[in-house]
Amino acid sequence: MLTTSAISVSNVTKSFVNAEGQEIAVLNDITMDIQEREFVSIVGPSGCGKSTIFNIIAGLLQPTSGSITVGGADIKQSTGHVGYMMQRDLLLPWRSILDNVMLGLEVKGIGKKERRDIAMSYLERYHLEAFAGAYPSTLSGGMRQRVALIRTLVTQPDIILLDEPFSALDYQTRLVLEDEILSILRDEGKTGVLITHDIEEAISVSDRIFVMSKRPTYVKKTYDIGLSAHYGSAMKARSDVRFKGFFEDIWSELDIQMGRVG
Amino acid sequence: MANTTTTGNTSVASAHVAAKGKSEFVRKRQAAAVKAWLMVVFWRLAIIGAVLGIWEALVRGGAINAFLLGSPSAIAKMAVSMISSGQLMEDAYATVRATVTGFGIGSAIGSLAGLLLWFSRTVSRIIDPFVVALNGVPKIALAPMIIIWFGSGIFSKIVLAAVSTFIVALLSAYQATHQIDDSQVNLMKSFGASKMQIFSKIIVPSSLPWIISAFRINIGLALVSVVGGEFISSDKGLGHMIFVEGNLFNLPAVWVGVFTLMIVAAVLYAGVSMLESRLLPWSEGKSSKSPSV
Repeated sequence: MLTTSAISVSNVTKSFVNAEGQEIAVLNDITMDIQEREFVSIVGPSGCGKSTIFNIIAGLLQPTSGSITVGGADIKQSTGHVGYMMQRDLLLPWRSILDNVMLGLEVKGIGKKERRDIAMSYLERYHLEAFAGAYPSTLSGGMRQRVALIRTLVTQPDIILLDEPFSALDYQTRLVLEDEILSILRDEGKTGVLITHDIEEAISVSDRIFVMSKRPTYVKKTYDIGLSAHYGSAMKARSDVRFKGFFEDIWSELDIQMGRVG
Repeated sequence: MANTTTTGNTSVASAHVAAKGKSEFVRKRQAAAVKAWLMVVFWRLAIIGAVLGIWEALVRGGAINAFLLGSPSAIAKMAVSMISSGQLMEDAYATVRATVTGFGIGSAIGSLAGLLLWFSRTVSRIIDPFVVALNGVPKIALAPMIIIWFGSGIFSKIVLAAVSTFIVALLSAYQATHQIDDSQVNLMKSFGASKMQIFSKIIVPSSLPWIISAFRINIGLALVSVVGGEFISSDKGLGHMIFVEGNLFNLPAVWVGVFTLMIVAAVLYAGVSMLESRLLPWSEGKSSKSPSV
């Protein structure tokens, strides 16, 4: 390995105890290496423990066994090394857009004037400065997700975890936002990990895709994609001739159960 | 910099709305809305007028007993004399003062205690059955004891109002902290926030709407407790006045007390609503903006 890995997950397992006192294995020996500035997707059947992987990388959950290193350091608890973006924007309704963007800086104890300047410069860079004083409830879903990403970026984490951030948006907004967020992360030099159930979305944005098995989850197969990096756009990646082939391969790998009785 | 940009935009937006506001269509719609509202006010006044008119007519015609029911004209005369003697204002002031003070103390301490319980799951589990039991007791049942302990003056009424609002405030604040979105807490953790930061930046503001809606219930509860306490033992207050005059079969004076209580309740409720829109500006912004979007 010549390049440094941003995230290295080795032999991670996770089990829960359910109400009946039985042990439920969710993750079964997960190993993956994610390089710096790489954009990868984790795709799997629903209920496969994608969010558990996400929470473990974010430092919100401890694995039952195995280890995770982020930027070479073992993570014991969350200390702001990872920023994240979820399906719901989680903007605080009682704070203006500017105050929402400053939230992370406030937590880190950065002075009032400085955090204001940093937040405004990000809002200006992404053309949202006109909404600085508005409350989140007055913005559209796509706008709110842009603000949510900026709120994450201002604290300058090296890694951004994205947990189905586009799934609540309409199709057109989703395509535009995928493109936009991918280019923002590339410009800012971030490592991105996207969790999604949308295979097309994963193919259009990723350098690599990890396909997960159903529970207890392990990495079933890894695909090298790189279409968006080649074209510099997630939207253009969708019209590549290889797109359909990737889709069919990944679809057949997924253990998707249809409503068949038996 | 930020301010100039936003204000600039808002003024452009409002100028746009104002220009639209002058159009024939909008003017017609607004005129129609005003007319509909005047209609509602007219009918309300008409109903009050009709009830009072029929009441007065029945008393004068001898169909109902003025001694047992009073009559609007006698009530009006009594109100004028009670206002000019200053007795009504003095009683109303005593009741309002005890209500507002007791409400303030009980709601503030209760809300704070309920919020702080968020810090310890163990403590809240231990005290849970006690809180539920206390909540079930009609607080007015405590009035005789509280009056014995704190005397028949205003202080016992304040304590009674505080006790009856405390539990409701505590329960609402405590339940509010359990409505918190875990993802929002996780987001704060991902920023490396301490428990204190999560409390002050997430738990408190997101519990505020619940706490304020408990205030609405509590202002009514406080008034009921104070008036109830005044019934039992006191030297002034609207409850005291109603109780004494009732024993003397002075029905017009009782009616004056009841109508004054209605006005007091309405004013206190309006005060809490004003407090709500001041403390929750974002929810107001939402409701005023959502119809236009």
